Amino acid sequence: MKLSATFLPLLALAATAEDLTPAQVFQMNCSACHAVDHMVVGPSLVEISGIYRGRPDDFVKWCLHPEQKRPGAIEMPSMAHLGEDTLRTLLPYILSEAEGKAEVKTGEGDPFAIPPAMVRRPQVQRIFLPDTSPAAIAVALPGTLSYAFDASECRLRYIWQGGFLDGYPYWKGNGSSLAQLGGPVLYREEAFPLKTASLGGQEASKFLGYEMGDDGLPTFHYRRGSHQFSETIHPLADGSGIERHFEIHPGIACTVEASDGVEVTSSSGSLRIDAAAASSFTLTFRWKK
Amino acid sequence: MIRFFSTCLLVATAAAAQPFSFKAMPNPSGVDPQVGGVDVRPDGKVAVAFHRGELMIFDPATETWSAFAEGLQEPLGLLAESTDSLLVMQRAELTRLRDRNRDGKAETYQTVFDGFGLTGNYHEFAFGPAKAPDGSLFIALNLASNGAGIRPEIRGEWSDIGQLDFRQMQHDGKWRDRSVKAGRMYSRVPYRGWILKLSPDGKQVEPWACGFRSPDGIGFDAEGRLLVDDNQGDWRGTSPLYVVEKGGFYGHPASLVWQDDWKGGDPMKMAVGRLDRLRTKETARFPQGDLANSPTQPVVIPESWGPYARQTLIGEMNQPRLVRFLADEVDGFTQGTLIPMFDGTPLGAGNHRLAFGPDGTLWVGKTHLSWAGAEGLFRIQPENLDQVLTVTSVKLEKSGSRQQFRITFSQPVAEPGTPKIHAFDYHYHVDYGSPKTREADLPVEKAQLDSRHHDLIIETKVQEGCVHRIDLPGIVSDNGTALDATTLYYQVTRLP
Repeated sequence: MKLSATFLPLLALAATAEDLTPAQVFQMNCSACHAVDHMVVGPSLVEISGIYRGRPDDFVKWCLHPEQKRPGAIEMPSMAHLGEDTLRTLLPYILSEAEGKAEVKTGEGDPFAIPPAMVRRPQVQRIFLPDTSPAAIAVALPGTLSYAFDASECRLRYIWQGGFLDGYPYWKGNGSSLAQLGGPVLYREEAFPLKTASLGGQEASKFLGYEMGDDGLPTFHYRRGSHQFSETIHPLADGSGIERHFEIHPGIACTVEASDGVEVTSSSGSLRIDAAAASSFTLTFRWKK
Repeated sequence: MIRFFSTCLLVATAAAAQPFSFKAMPNPSGVDPQVGGVDVRPDGKVAVAFHRGELMIFDPATETWSAFAEGLQEPLGLLAESTDSLLVMQRAELTRLRDRNRDGKAETYQTVFDGFGLTGNYHEFAFGPAKAPDGSLFIALNLASNGAGIRPEIRGEWSDIGQLDFRQMQHDGKWRDRSVKAGRMYSRVPYRGWILKLSPDGKQVEPWACGFRSPDGIGFDAEGRLLVDDNQGDWRGTSPLYVVEKGGFYGHPASLVWQDDWKGGDPMKMAVGRLDRLRTKETARFPQGDLANSPTQPVVIPESWGPYARQTLIGEMNQPRLVRFLADEVDGFTQGTLIPMFDGTPLGAGNHRLAFGPDGTLWVGKTHLSWAGAEGLFRIQPENLDQVLTVTSVKLEKSGSRQQFRITFSQPVAEPGTPKIHAFDYHYHVDYGSPKTREADLPVEKAQLDSRHHDLIIETKVQEGCVHRIDLPGIVSDNGTALDATTLYYQVTRLP
């Protein structure tokens, strides 16, 4: 105990954790996360017994200054409030509880997992994704394409093909791991593709939200400079690319500069969009063969 | 047969006397039923936000669920503005969900406010919104945890203040070797560890107060005071409750760097004594292990709850109870008493979000998020509150050279009983949690009832700064009802 001698006589009078049995202390402080024979939030008493049998000092040290033993697991909070003497009484209790028991393996997978072929499309899911800002939005399009929209930079970041997402790594660890994409990335967009003479594509952007269409596809709203943009992404029926419908208010002349790997055509007939056409136009992005 | 009848009779008698009824609601199918937000709409239906981003509406009449919205990121707070409009706090933004065509589902996901930073660290949760009496909104932002580093891309301004630079803060295979230098919890992007005030439309923001760690509980009390509780950890010897005022610093130093024109350098290097003088002290403290380990949302108890009306009720994740807060004003400072509630009932643990319906039903949303807790939606209904004997007020008063606690009951009591007072404190320090310090049993000089038998006056000499655990054995009402909770925790931050 890191208490000065002055307080020891008072402590002796006090009703503290030391008045409780180890079983009671365990019940109040540990049982929510540790079960006898299987992993709950933390390891089982069987596993703890295997690590700390005959090592009471290490056990107390761990309880005072816990770390992580499993990557992606939650770190145990310090049990310093119990005091070293009480912590020391817990190890014999744990050993006796685990005596003669064996570890029971619990399911490792996502209990709410949906088989990839059964995943509902379209759908939208905000979650931490690779290669984008933390304010990411994943969208599953009808078919096999999905994309990542970045609500911080207000732009499409990339498109992948295959399954949608495995969000379980994120959800089980409260975001300590990223969601995994259900297939390879087909296209990455290095910068916002509409360049304007006055703003140069580097203007301050502000995310305004999205609207769900009757077809279940989101239309994203954002502001760049003093212009408000709407953008809706549809898949091409044959899976060879996407259509991006833009509406810009007030309209402003802009030039389309796509990233490598796509061929772009515009409903306005030219990749130089004039101010009038900018109020409503559609760009078609096809993956290069 | 006779035994059967007498058992029935016993059960019936006991049921009639129960002040509350408890029932776990069915979970929606296919949904991870960990609850991040609960509010009751004006039509009495319950809006519930779940861990994986579903926002569903529960109809209490049919006990069925319908989908309102989905795809949200870790929603941890909910406010029903009307039947068609809900505010929800996600990791990255405060969002207004609107059902404009009234088909029962939201079409509009409008970003109300996203003017705060994100490093991608898992512990950067966002809580609220709490609606102030004037309609403005308050949100609370969690610090990041050195259980992980940051992601390559962040949102918001980067603070260079800290022992590790942007590259060294990246989460990689060697993070564990560097993590101690990040600080146990850290604030490297704006307003992590802050309470922010927003205009109702979200267009104006006012950084309101700092010094928070993991402020999962934010709400207003019946007097319009902003209450925020926080979680035991570094700089939190045990979980505190604060009355939050503009410009205040509430103890965890990491967030200080986002004060206007901060010139204090690295808060991790500031002397504890200086931080201790800067900080606003606790309004109440939840003794870890004894009362609560992870307090959550504070809400105001409605008039229909009789003797409990207008008190503040607070959730608790770890222990199977809720906690009441009774405010006291001493020397211009709000401090007060925490009291366990619903001990020994079927309530269970994991009590994360609370909301009262127009009929007085209390809805409790449960979660664990891989810590301790439970799942699902739970209902508590007041049944028979006429006979309840409960403490309705605890005041600390001056009594000559000593002090006295004046404890008011909801109805006259027969005897003063044999009160006991035990005082203790916790360290204010960088370490995670704290043992109890300054522990002492305080002599009770006098314990007597006032002439109406409504107030119990306990005279003692209190210890400034300490939690005072007051045990009240032997208190019964004139008609024989026992006290609902016999342990009170009064925080003596100021002396009268």
